[in-house]
Amino acid sequence: MDQELLMKQIVEQVMAAMNKGAASAPSTPAGGRMTAANYPLAEKETDKLKTPTGKPFSSLSYEKVLSGELTSDDMRIAPETLEYQAQVAESVNREAFAGNLRRAAELIAVPDERLLEIYNALRPYRSTKQELLDIASELDGKYGAKTAAGLVREAAEVYEKRDRLKKF
Amino acid sequence: MKSKRFEALAARPVNQDGYVQEWPEVGLIAMNSPFDPKPSIKIENGRIVEMDGKTRADFDMLDTFIADHAIRLGNAEKAMAMDSLDIARKIVDINVSRDEILDITLSVTPAKLTEIVGKLTIVEIMMGMTKMRARLMPANQCHVTNVKDNPVQIAADAAEAAVRGFAEMETTVGIARYAPFNAMALFVGAQAGRPGIMTQCALEEATELQLGMRGFTTYAETISVYGTEPVFMDGDDTPYSKAFLASCYASRGLKMRFTSGTGSEVQMGYAEGKSMLYLEARCLAVTKGAGVQGTQNGSVSCVGVPAGVPGGIRAIAAENLIAMLLDLESTTSNDQTFTHSDLRRVARSVPQLFSGTDYICSGYSATPNYDNMFAGSNWDADDYDDWNIIQRDMRIDGGLQPVKEEDVIKARNKAARALQGMFRELGLPPITDEEVEAATYARGSEDMPNRNVNEDLKAIEAMMARKVTGVDFVKALDKAGFPDVAQNIYNMLRQKVAGDYLHTASIFDKDFHVFSGVNAPNDYHGPMTGYQLSEERWEQIKNIPNAIRPEDI
Repeated sequence: MDQELLMKQIVEQVMAAMNKGAASAPSTPAGGRMTAANYPLAEKETDKLKTPTGKPFSSLSYEKVLSGELTSDDMRIAPETLEYQAQVAESVNREAFAGNLRRAAELIAVPDERLLEIYNALRPYRSTKQELLDIASELDGKYGAKTAAGLVREAAEVYEKRDRLKKF
Repeated sequence: MKSKRFEALAARPVNQDGYVQEWPEVGLIAMNSPFDPKPSIKIENGRIVEMDGKTRADFDMLDTFIADHAIRLGNAEKAMAMDSLDIARKIVDINVSRDEILDITLSVTPAKLTEIVGKLTIVEIMMGMTKMRARLMPANQCHVTNVKDNPVQIAADAAEAAVRGFAEMETTVGIARYAPFNAMALFVGAQAGRPGIMTQCALEEATELQLGMRGFTTYAETISVYGTEPVFMDGDDTPYSKAFLASCYASRGLKMRFTSGTGSEVQMGYAEGKSMLYLEARCLAVTKGAGVQGTQNGSVSCVGVPAGVPGGIRAIAAENLIAMLLDLESTTSNDQTFTHSDLRRVARSVPQLFSGTDYICSGYSATPNYDNMFAGSNWDADDYDDWNIIQRDMRIDGGLQPVKEEDVIKARNKAARALQGMFRELGLPPITDEEVEAATYARGSEDMPNRNVNEDLKAIEAMMARKVTGVDFVKALDKAGFPDVAQNIYNMLRQKVAGDYLHTASIFDKDFHVFSGVNAPNDYHGPMTGYQLSEERWEQIKNIPNAIRPEDI
């Protein structure tokens, strides 16, 4: 078993090195936008990916998880990665999905607890219009989450029109 | 005098099922209702001002969301002006590509989509599925649950299901507070059985997201959307809250899909006099508009409703096709039990199984039906050989393969031991050797010893309070002497950093290579194109252990 694991690691390292060598290949078109040709990014663009804590994707390893050098904060997706994935989605004509990924990229900065609170506040009859607008300002101002803020503002308008705001 | 023939027929399982005549006024009609709106669209200044016979002033919340988010405006007027019959014929025309169809169908309204698929027979719907599903190769998903919420059994059943071929697994709970154990057990069991399987735990929306954020799951599916505003409100959500939730998942590198299905609105009493299929088309438009990669649809847990009306099972296949026409990952139900008749339950699955969909069942019960906590499934563990032999009979890939008993026992035992070790290292209530032994050979929870539920629930609470995450599973499994399982869990966590599997219709192979609508798109355009069984795969499917070999005679 140990030997099999070792072989796996060696193969992974070799693959990672090969991918590094190919990074400047013309698979990334002019303008640097990702397309289906760069996908899967975990195999073809390892050198471009980072964790939200700034660690290169290629530096992630099982051993570092065991030693505690990598924590669960490292094992998350970064905004830049979601932007790359959005570009891949656009290259195969999935612009609605790309929009979702971009909205998601903005929300990475929002802590788990706050994200859950905002989701709950968007449920019917949970918030006044002002509360929703305040959330939108928070998303916009504190996190730079412009598209997500736009969605919340849109919801505030529609909830008002459809009488789905918090009742007193 | 009573007819003996009729007496025998009355006793048949099919006559234990419930049926109802159409009643379009209350929405008890599968498709093609006289009250369905006529397709229409009017665009002014880059904004839809009229859709399916309603002006913007009369839009409800769903109309507004769909009009603002779900329809490509550039080609909309042209696509809406096309004859629905012409579009339906293009769907079955092998000379018209999937991309050409999507150019049309991503630009039309829910009423138009309903009208288009309403022109197709069940066989034509199946031809449409073959061409329109997103991923080249089909796959399958299973449920792994049990009435005792026994985590050791979940791990063992998941490992067996992995060996049998499922690409995705879903669990849920009897007791809600057991959710973290069920999710962990499924994760570990699946990765012990076959690296790269995605796992989820179906719970209330916010709780489900929380488990995902903690690294207990790798995707989510039970994000329900509905076809009328009152039912959406009853579901305690709006298209906007659900769209926000979709982004929450992606922001944590978690794959997710929405869920909807024909019959839910009439079952909840607010069908607004529309056909089940039209309301489902609205759900799918909301899904598209939210920017979600896919859907679980096909009536799902409301299957009893369409199954009771004429043409209802055809409508279920039609709603799957609409999902594909919107370029969504199609995870096609074939789950909840709806009939006493074995003939009917097979016929219900023929369209998806024979055509192939991204996930044929969602899910197939990996336990006997008595352990299925999603109210039973159309297919269960006792049907494994039937499924395998149907694949062999028809030369189709339904995502499963025949297995050897010794391989299954080995996998079940390993998963149970791995979970035992992980529990020990995490300081959770012990899993005894007796439990491991029972799980290794069990058919279901009747064969499992009882656990101390209070102790488990207390330990779960403490574990969640000390913020245990997927990273801790990796460490615990390594320490417990299961570095290969630990490595698989690590690799799943690593995939969340890269996000490749967020894309439409993704699956992983055992080497964590992703296949999705991006790098493995369905390119079917007639005989001998699209997904073809490889010689290797066909060998795997056809070689059932109980076939007589000519050389042995």
